[in-house]
Amino acid sequence: MADSYLGVRLDILRRSQNPDGGWSYYRGKQSWLEPTFYGALVLHGDPAADRAWSLLKSWQAPDGSWPPTAGAAISGWGTALCLTLAHIRGELDGPYLKGVAYLLKTAGTESELWRRALARLGFFDPGRNLSLKGWPWKQGTSSWVEPTALTLIALKQANAQLPATELRERVRSGEALLLDVRCKDGGWNYGSPWTLGEDQRSYPETTALALLGLQGRAEAGSSLDLARNWLRDTPSSLARAWITVALRLHGVAVPDVPSSLEGPGSPDLMVLALEALGASDGNYGLLKTEVMG
Amino acid sequence: MKISRRDFFPLAGAGLLAGYAGWEGARSRRPSPGPTLPGPSPVVVLKASSYSADLAQRILEGVRECGLDVRDKKVLLKPNLVEFDPATCINTDVSVVAAAYEVFRSLGAAEVIIGEGPGHRRDTYSLVEMAHYRDISHFDDLFVDLNRDDVSPVQGFADRAEMYFPHAALRADLVVSLAKMKTHHWAGATLSMKNFFGLVPGSVYGWPKNELHHIGISQSIVELTRIFHRSFAIVDGIVGMEGNGPIQGTPKPAGVLVMGSDLPAVDATCCRIMGIDPAKVEYLHMAADSLGNVEESRIEQRGEKISEVRTNFALIDSFRGLRLT
Repeated sequence: MADSYLGVRLDILRRSQNPDGGWSYYRGKQSWLEPTFYGALVLHGDPAADRAWSLLKSWQAPDGSWPPTAGAAISGWGTALCLTLAHIRGELDGPYLKGVAYLLKTAGTESELWRRALARLGFFDPGRNLSLKGWPWKQGTSSWVEPTALTLIALKQANAQLPATELRERVRSGEALLLDVRCKDGGWNYGSPWTLGEDQRSYPETTALALLGLQGRAEAGSSLDLARNWLRDTPSSLARAWITVALRLHGVAVPDVPSSLEGPGSPDLMVLALEALGASDGNYGLLKTEVMG
Repeated sequence: MKISRRDFFPLAGAGLLAGYAGWEGARSRRPSPGPTLPGPSPVVVLKASSYSADLAQRILEGVRECGLDVRDKKVLLKPNLVEFDPATCINTDVSVVAAAYEVFRSLGAAEVIIGEGPGHRRDTYSLVEMAHYRDISHFDDLFVDLNRDDVSPVQGFADRAEMYFPHAALRADLVVSLAKMKTHHWAGATLSMKNFFGLVPGSVYGWPKNELHHIGISQSIVELTRIFHRSFAIVDGIVGMEGNGPIQGTPKPAGVLVMGSDLPAVDATCCRIMGIDPAKVEYLHMAADSLGNVEESRIEQRGEKISEVRTNFALIDSFRGLRLT
């Protein structure tokens, strides 16, 4: 096990865990929510994951949100990751509910009523459906693909325990938003399919994340071939790792991704954790979501 | 009045509606406290017809002409690395980055590192690889991914109480903006000041760094220049980009390197070379006088005369009015 594709990565992650229980993006740096989430996910059931979760729990803000790193007075997208982890761990108590409530009241500013009203009155052509609500990186800004996809995972998992009309409506709207901002080439970039009348190309990493948010949706099927091609062609180890996780969750058979361990910036602890997550015997199934009726 | 989608959504919140834009513009024109301008600012324009020219010699000449002393300083070289497309010229060319590294090392800097935090792409190292930056000797030991470095807050950024920045930028005695000479479909031009968007960490603010668009692009450019005022600019105009920059434009050979310690003065000079009136570029209008010199009479032009190197960069329709007459 220790010498396997997965085992090598788990071993490095265990040895790279910061004393506070978190992980940094690169060894020797401060703990961040994102790599700590992925570290805890791939080591789920291991004492290292318990220490990571203890750290993340201590970061929750009074409004139910999470900052990207300790003490940062900014909340937003990492909240979805922490709620996903809490759900996986079965910790569905008060802090969890508070976090879900935070996500439900958070939406990208482009869907605000006054903007929709002006669009309807013909003051501008948004080129998209402003009634659809996604999620921003940071409260008070616009919706983008990645935070929307990650929040969809968290809320769809929450639906099993917290069926609520509002939650289902936000999921429906968020999924529709992702489909609305799909690029012409069939994938997704950060959330802007065209600029100044020119189609923008999609990126492999954001396509993978959108596919994670659209698990089970038939409309996502047409993007799977593109993702498969990228898995073969992209030089980005981060993108390969995310695509592998997404394709596996869409039921597509893929091999373990080539190792990033010899690549630039190595070891990138988040990439390492994502590679471990997407390993054939990895924990990618923890991000599985069901289609909501 | 019809505002097209391009005005609205791609960076939704950037200046969304006419009314909103007006409010935002009024808000963003509050002057920011900045350094007192000592007098005319030297800006050096040197010809460099290709990336195979002796760029280290050119950059050394420019640094010396500006009287910059980097001895014992910690220097952060900040190239413009946005996306990679082999068909065009989005990023600061690797040969300019390599030459700048060589020059600052040779001038006795205590430390020279290279850092960037791309605004769209998550995998910084993949971009670095594609842009051939790893051809620089020992690059992996020199490079900091500014999107995922440790961060600390700086108090006051436009109307925000604080803004987080990477330690690699905060601890630098000198940030060298290794910018690309390009048009920009929202700001008019992207030069040494706009290049500082890459100092804002994606791990805090996301990809794209939408917080800056909500604050206001011009206001953010000015605030970043104010905070990182210990800076120097080297603009790669050997081959710039015209039209629908900063990503989908067309390569435009201008054959110059533009350098100076007063970033607004450097950007104003670049604008004049590009055939853009700097007084009509909002962020330069905002920066003028409080952060740097923009008026031609307040810039001490060294090296080539602007008239000898001016080459009009094509402008998209919405920026036709910026053309320098």
